[in-house]
Amino acid sequence: MKVFYLAVILAPPSGPSTNLVNASDLSTFSFYQKGSVGEFMGFFSKTVAERTGQGQRQSVQENTYVAHVYNRGGAEQLVGVIITDQEYPVRPAFSLLTKMLDDFTAKVPQSSFGNPSAISFPEINVYLQKYQDPRQADAIMRVQQELDETKIVLHKTIESVLARGEKLDNLVERSNALSAQSKMFYKTAKKQNSCCTIM
Amino acid sequence: MPIQDRTNEFRSCVESIRNRSSLPRGAEAKQRLLKLQNARGGVENKSEFSRMASTIGKEISTTTIKLGKLAQLAKRKTLFDDRPVEISELTFIIKQDIANINRQIAALQAYVKQRHALTSKTVEGKQVEEHNNNVVMLLQSKLANTSMTFKDVLEVRTQNMKESKDRQEQFMSTAATSANQAPSNSLLFANRQDPMGDGSGSRPSSKGKGRATPTNDMLAMDLVSAEEGSMNQSGGAYMQMQLVEQQDNYIQQRSTAIESIESTIAELGQIFTQLAQMVAEQRETVQRIDADTVDIASNVSGAQRELLKYYASISSNRWLMLKVFGVLIVFFLIFILVS
Repeated sequence: MKVFYLAVILAPPSGPSTNLVNASDLSTFSFYQKGSVGEFMGFFSKTVAERTGQGQRQSVQENTYVAHVYNRGGAEQLVGVIITDQEYPVRPAFSLLTKMLDDFTAKVPQSSFGNPSAISFPEINVYLQKYQDPRQADAIMRVQQELDETKIVLHKTIESVLARGEKLDNLVERSNALSAQSKMFYKTAKKQNSCCTIM
Repeated sequence: MPIQDRTNEFRSCVESIRNRSSLPRGAEAKQRLLKLQNARGGVENKSEFSRMASTIGKEISTTTIKLGKLAQLAKRKTLFDDRPVEISELTFIIKQDIANINRQIAALQAYVKQRHALTSKTVEGKQVEEHNNNVVMLLQSKLANTSMTFKDVLEVRTQNMKESKDRQEQFMSTAATSANQAPSNSLLFANRQDPMGDGSGSRPSSKGKGRATPTNDMLAMDLVSAEEGSMNQSGGAYMQMQLVEQQDNYIQQRSTAIESIESTIAELGQIFTQLAQMVAEQRETVQRIDADTVDIASNVSGAQRELLKYYASISSNRWLMLKVFGVLIVFFLIFILVS
């Protein structure tokens, strides 16, 4: 599962939308395809951003790609778009968009929205790389994964405790036998000592 | 109660009464017959009138019989054995019959009016005219009753259809059909009230019948229009529901993910408890092993002590040693002396 494209778009409800920041990972495409695929993704993200209402999330499917759009609206009229393949789980995609938009509004002041080229938001690339594996990046999925690992470890522990129990039973039996034998040994020695004369 | 044709009984009653009756009655009857035979001029008209009236009456009675059959068919409440083809055929036939009878009664009325215009203003003529009017009124009222019964049967039929549809929905429930039901019900009831508000008993049956058949057509039309209208409504409602679903979907997914995490943590807690329990069970075993080991150690050390004592006693007991050697030398001497 891969993330291909990540963008923050300024989309006022009336009027054209402008791409503020974007990052793309087109390494899976051949060299000659990269240009056209990149343009297609830019255009696609702008279109779906314009068509999503305020405060709404949408998932649009196009051939083999799925675009998840989250229009946060509010004062900044920002829209987050992520284009992934079809395997990518939906929920972490949206939580990534939410996180990215929050980060963006925290870092970039609203005044520079009119000048897209001046906006520097390198974290978008970091996000893109990090979220290539959603299981590690998304908090909920990571917690779930760790819990599953812990559960496996605990299952193994319980198995080993069962084995330990068996060994302990074994030991108890043996120590019982040994104790009886040593008792006999002691009695015999005592009898020999206290018995009648030699011969 | 189904209509029964008791003409034959009536005829036999009349015969018996006639036979029982005394002579003046017979004379009266004969007089009437004579009158009928004498007044040929008017008889034809009268008999024609009576013929028309009798045909109309017969048709009304047959229509009532058919209506009784339709009522029985409509009363059936089974889901699967419904015979809509028969019912609709019968409904159609009855409608046509009622229209026919209506036309005939209208023609009869016109004829009576015509006759009234032509006949003389004698007392007898007036009586005849009044009688004709009464007969026409009677036929019209009979037809009105029939059409009222017809309307009732149609009501029962639509109600049963609705009930069967409801029961079908219980087995295959969809949101669309329930959206259909409500508007069609309200429209049906609204339109049914108005025609029924006017009592059609006393009116001339042309108007009464005119109400009955449009009711049926309106029933059919309104069902169709109600379905179409509500389909458009529910289409829009579906689209809205989808958008809201999308919004809820993300949030629901989040909540399910977090719920699964919570359940996993609870499971982990349980596993830990089981683990602790198992280890506690094994503690007792370990204690037994400990006790046994201690016993073994003490036994072995005790035995070693005894052996040491024994060895000490052996090595330090000279008197014993002398005794042992003395016995040996005795035996040795004996063997030497013998050999």
